[in-house]
Formats: sequence, structure tokens, C-alpha cells
Amino acid sequence: MSFSIRQRITDEMSGAALPFVAFCIALNLTAGQITAALKIPLYLDSIGTILVAVLVGPWSAVICGSAANLLAAALGNPSMIFFIPVVVVIGAFTGFLARRGWFRKWYLVAIGGVLQGILAAIASAPISAYLFSGVMMAGTDFLVLYFRSVGNTILNSVLYQGLTSDPADKLVSYFIVFFLVKNLPQRLISRLRGASNLRAPDSTT
Amino acid sequence: MADRIVIQSFSLQYSATTPGVLSSVSLDIPSGTCCAILGPTGAGKSSLLQCLAGTMQRHHPESVASGTIQIGERLFEALPSHVLFPSVGYALQDPHVQISGVRDTVFGEILFTLENTGEVPDEPAAVILPLLRKLGIDHLADRKPTSLSGGETQRVALATILVAQPPVLLLDEPTTAMDLAAQEKLRGILRGMKQSTTIVLTDTQLDFALGICDQIVVLEQGKVLFDGTPAAFLRRLDEFHTSLPLENWLPLRQQILRLLDQPSRLGSRLALTLGLK
Amino acid sequence: MSTGQSLSRKLALVLLLWVCAFTLPWTIQASLCVVLIIARYAVLPLRPITPRSAKAFSRFILYSIAVATFIILLNGLLIKEGAVAAKVFGIPLHKEGLLFGARTASRLLLLSFSILLFFVSTSLPDLIEHLQTKGLPPYLALVLLLTLHFLDQLPARIHQIFLAQQARGAPVDSGLLSRTKALFSILSPLVLSSIVESIERGTALELRGFLQRPQVARVIKRSESETDWLTISLILLALAVLIYRIVQWLIA
Repeated sequence: MSFSIRQRITDEMSGAALPFVAFCIALNLTAGQITAALKIPLYLDSIGTILVAVLVGPWSAVICGSAANLLAAALGNPSMIFFIPVVVVIGAFTGFLARRGWFRKWYLVAIGGVLQGILAAIASAPISAYLFSGVMMAGTDFLVLYFRSVGNTILNSVLYQGLTSDPADKLVSYFIVFFLVKNLPQRLISRLRGASNLRAPDSTT
Repeated sequence: MADRIVIQSFSLQYSATTPGVLSSVSLDIPSGTCCAILGPTGAGKSSLLQCLAGTMQRHHPESVASGTIQIGERLFEALPSHVLFPSVGYALQDPHVQISGVRDTVFGEILFTLENTGEVPDEPAAVILPLLRKLGIDHLADRKPTSLSGGETQRVALATILVAQPPVLLLDEPTTAMDLAAQEKLRGILRGMKQSTTIVLTDTQLDFALGICDQIVVLEQGKVLFDGTPAAFLRRLDEFHTSLPLENWLPLRQQILRLLDQPSRLGSRLALTLGLK
Repeated sequence: MSTGQSLSRKLALVLLLWVCAFTLPWTIQASLCVVLIIARYAVLPLRPITPRSAKAFSRFILYSIAVATFIILLNGLLIKEGAVAAKVFGIPLHKEGLLFGARTASRLLLLSFSILLFFVSTSLPDLIEHLQTKGLPPYLALVLLLTLHFLDQLPARIHQIFLAQQARGAPVDSGLLSRTKALFSILSPLVLSSIVESIERGTALELRGFLQRPQVARVIKRSESETDWLTISLILLALAVLIYRIVQWLIA
């Protein structure tokens, strides 16, 4: 890792950011507990990554997502390790959007969520196709089955399935984070590195 | 080894547009003594400690300060720009967050601080175990830090700071969630440390401070209302009943003053116990 | 054998198995999967270190059998090349599809089993400490260790918030929209309290000098023999398999 990247990561993860990233990694791994208790059909397994991307920065979000997948593998779900490139894309892209103020307006959040979903689908398709033949033991497998049965290759089938479901999933996650951070006190957010992502440059609130 | 602390006309605002948190505070805390800063919540006690520890500028970059802070030989115009570890040790109010949680044992937790100093001795046990013994927690060396009682956690948190041998020790409301026995133990430990360390502690009540402190400072709304000896403070007790919860003390005031003023054995013993002599 | 040596050997074994997963025929891969399952019981350093990790491994074996079966059958059904090898409920399964499915499944299983076996037989704090001696930056090590700490606490904290919200009438059992609103009533205090705690923890770490100056490497007792031949052999074997496969591919 070059010195400047290392320095950027160290700067981003200093102070309160470091424990917050650790919390968000744990949140990625346990958010399913909340949705299961409320019987909501969402995974929210990237919610911590998106929170870090918005409140801290892109490098920290990449670390958050990668570490969450690594720990998920360590805790009994080894297939998560193969999707680390996907969470790198999610963290980096969301951090990029957040730095450009896309989490200040709801319509930008909506566009960003859809774009993120498309990118996630593109990033995960080759992994899912090559390693898993599109089989993830989830409801979306039927979509893959359908696309394959009408003559598409495994890669295309997985890609089409991803493009069908991922944008909606990421859109929801983006909005959840948008509404969560909207109501956080400014004096607390300012202690994390990404406070300027949520506040216009000359805003006094 | 202990450092003197001198604060001159120090004022602080969290930002240029917010009201002042501290207003023209001047204090002189001699080396090797214990100063108790008392005051209600919001008086500015923790803010003052953060300024002394060097975390204020770091965490509130928009803060505006004036005056000077001198710790030992080091003089700071307005605020120190960086955390003053290890010359200033700061024990936070909640000892549970002081414990990093990244080591499996109390011993490992304390070793973590030594590693951060960049100077780990060849035999870390030779440094850590005597410290644990001094704090009465050597039997906890192999225990998980998160499995301890409130009083034990407080002492382990203190050990994680003391292992760096700071010349100045700041304690933010150290007796929160501590029972009387644990408070008495902590008082004994701090008494033993005074010669080698200058101690500044904050509290909302008088009870813990009496018996160990050489100097009492009363802060209210960022201003110093009183700065003097415990004996002088007790003589002026009724001036501060709006700033501090003194319901337990005010009724005893006359008796305390009588015992202090009369040359009796009980009076001397009382004065000694209260640290008034 | 020191912890560091054991970890290095296991990492080298994972590397070898991953190389095999991408280079060797599926029949060998499948056999290696069976060997790994046997090793979980027979080889001491590869045994799960806690009952929870033993359960995780057993659960995963059952899950992976289901996944493998699904992959093989699905491909046998959809890749209509070659002769019909079998029929399931009258639906023909083609040989080429079944072979393709078998190749995919055996590769996936070998990759997954090797990782899982590594993790169930390894203490995460020991692994993180070992990686630190190999150059893992201290802030990354701290993030991972703190995460383990939060993973212990978070389920209970979530449960507490859930009960508190339920007690004040949050619609946790109503329609989907109401339950989604209830989601915010749980996430919001959770995130807020985590930021407050992070600020305090971050301050506490700085007050103990973390990252203020060059970190002293953890004092690790090294075993007398620095050269671990088994680790080196496993790495060389992995390289040999890779080179053999590349040469085969070039010749073909």
C-alpha cells in the first residue's frame, strides 16, 4: 500500500471514526437480527458500510465492508469472502457520492441508490456466475432459473437477476441511511470525518 | 516527577458564535498535590480537563480559547494542539469506555498502553504486576476486562493510565457508580500517589474530595467561585449551597467549625480525616 | 509448535487448496473435500476450537450438500448438451450439464471448506495478533478486535432497544409500513448511541496514546527453529501445482 493511501486511511480512521467503523462492521453482521424480529423482507447487510461511507469516508467504508465479509466468513458463512470485491465497490462508490454531497437531497439519494444497485449487480455477476453458477439459495434463484431457461448464459442470467433486484435493495438501504443521518445532531456528526458530506459548505446549521 | 499546573486568565468557547464555557479561569495547582474541581453539571469541569489533556482542540477544532496553560515546563498559548499523553494521564468518567476491549486479560489491557508509549520494557510483568498490587487488583490480572465489577473496572481503567507514569493525572468524576467501600479504596490509592503525581479530579459533590484534596475549586457557569483549602471552603460552606448538593454538610457545619477551632483530639482527628491539615 | 507456526501452516494449506480448486480436475477436488471433512475430526490443529464453531462447520456441510445438489441438478437441466445421463421425475438431465455442475460445485465446496476449516480451528484474536507481526497496521488490528467486542454486545443492545420500543407502543407487529417505521425507532437510537460511544472510545484510545507514535511490535516469543519446513513445503507444492497446470494449458 502506498504511503499516501495509508496516510489517507489513517487520517480518515482517527479519533471517533475507528470505533464507529468497528460498530458498523458489527451492525452489518447483526442487522439481519432486527429485520428478522420485525419480519421485514430486507437484509440490510450493507447498512453499516453505507453509514460509514456517508459519515466517515470511502476508505473506511471499503475497510468496513471487507472486514464484515471476512468476519462473516470466519463466523460460519465462508461464501461471503468471495463477495469482498462487491462490498469494495459499494463502499467506494457510496463514499464518492457522499463526498460530492449526494446525501443532502432525497432525489440524489434515489438516483445514487439505483446507480449503486446497478454497479453492485455488475460487480457480483461474474463471482456469482463463475463460482456459484448463479445459485445463492435465495428467492432470487428462480429469477436466474427463468433467465437461463429462455436461453441466456449463466453470466447474463445472473446479471439480469442482479439488475432486477439490486437497485431496489440498495435504494431502500440508501434511504434508510439518509433518514437516519438526517436526524442526527450536528455536534455528534461533526466528530466523525464526514460531517461535511451532510452539510452544504456555507451552512451554519 | 509531578508537574505544576498554572492556568492564567483562560477562557473557552466551543465556537465563535456559542456562549463561553470557561471564563477567565486562573488556577495554580502545585506539583504533588490534589486539586478537586467541584461544580454542578455544565459548570465547565470536564471542558477544563479536556483542555488540560489536549483533547479540546483535537475534537472541537472550531473552539476559541484565550489565556495560557502551563504544565510543568511546557507553556501553551490558548490550547494544546495535540493530546498530551503520556505527560498527562486522563481517566474518563465512564471506565468501561476507557477499557479498549481489544485484549483478553487485564494484564494485556494495561500492556496495550505501554505499547502505545513506544517503550515496552523487556519484562513488562515487572512493571505491570507491582502496579496492579498497588491498586489492589493483582488477582484480576488474568481476568477478562469486560467481566469486572464497576469498582474493579474503575481501578483497571486507572491502571491503564498510571502505567505510563504521567506526572499529571486527571480524573473526571471518578466515583460515578462506585459504592462507598470502593470510593474509600480509591481515596487511599490517590493519597499514596500524591507525591509523585499532581492530581486534578472533578466531582459534583464534596464527599469524595474531602480527605484527599489539598485544594478545592468551585466552578459555576465557567467561572471560579472559590479557590482555596478545604478548611477555608468548609468555613464558607453556605455560600455554595446553590452550586453544590451540600444538604448533608450544612447541618454539620457549626459542629465541624467548632471541632476545627477547638484544640481537641477529636478536632485534630477530624481535620486529619478530612484532609484539612 | 507455536501459535504463529500453526497459523502459518494453516494459511499455507488454504493457499494450496485454493490453487487446487482452480487447477485440478473436479474428481480430485471432490476427494479433497472429503479429506477436509475427515481432517476436521482427525487432525488436531484443524479441529474446531469451540462447540459453536463445530456446530457452524456441521451446519455448513449440510448446507453445502444442498447447494451442490442444486447446482448440479440445475445445470444438468439447463445445459442441454451431450447424452441424457438421468431423469428426475421425468425431466432429463444432460451429461455435459451435470459435469459442468459437478465442476462448479466441487470448486465452490473446496474453496468454502478450506476457509471455514481454517476459521473454525483458529482463534480470531490470535490470528489478528499473528497478522500484526506480519505487518497488519495497528489501526486495522484494533478495528477487527473492537468489532469482535461489539459483536458480543450488539445482539443484547438491539434486543433491549426492541423491548423498550415495544413497551412504548412502537408498531412492531402491525402492517409492513408500520413495521418499517418501527425499524427506524430501533436503528435510530442504536446508531446515535454508537456514535456517542465511539466518540468516547476514540478519545479513550487517544488518551492512551494509540497511534500517537510508532507502535511497538507485540512481543512474540519465537520458537527456536525459525524455519518451518511444513509451511514452506505447502507453499512450494501450491506453486508446483500452479506451474504444472499452466504448462498443461500451454501444451494444450
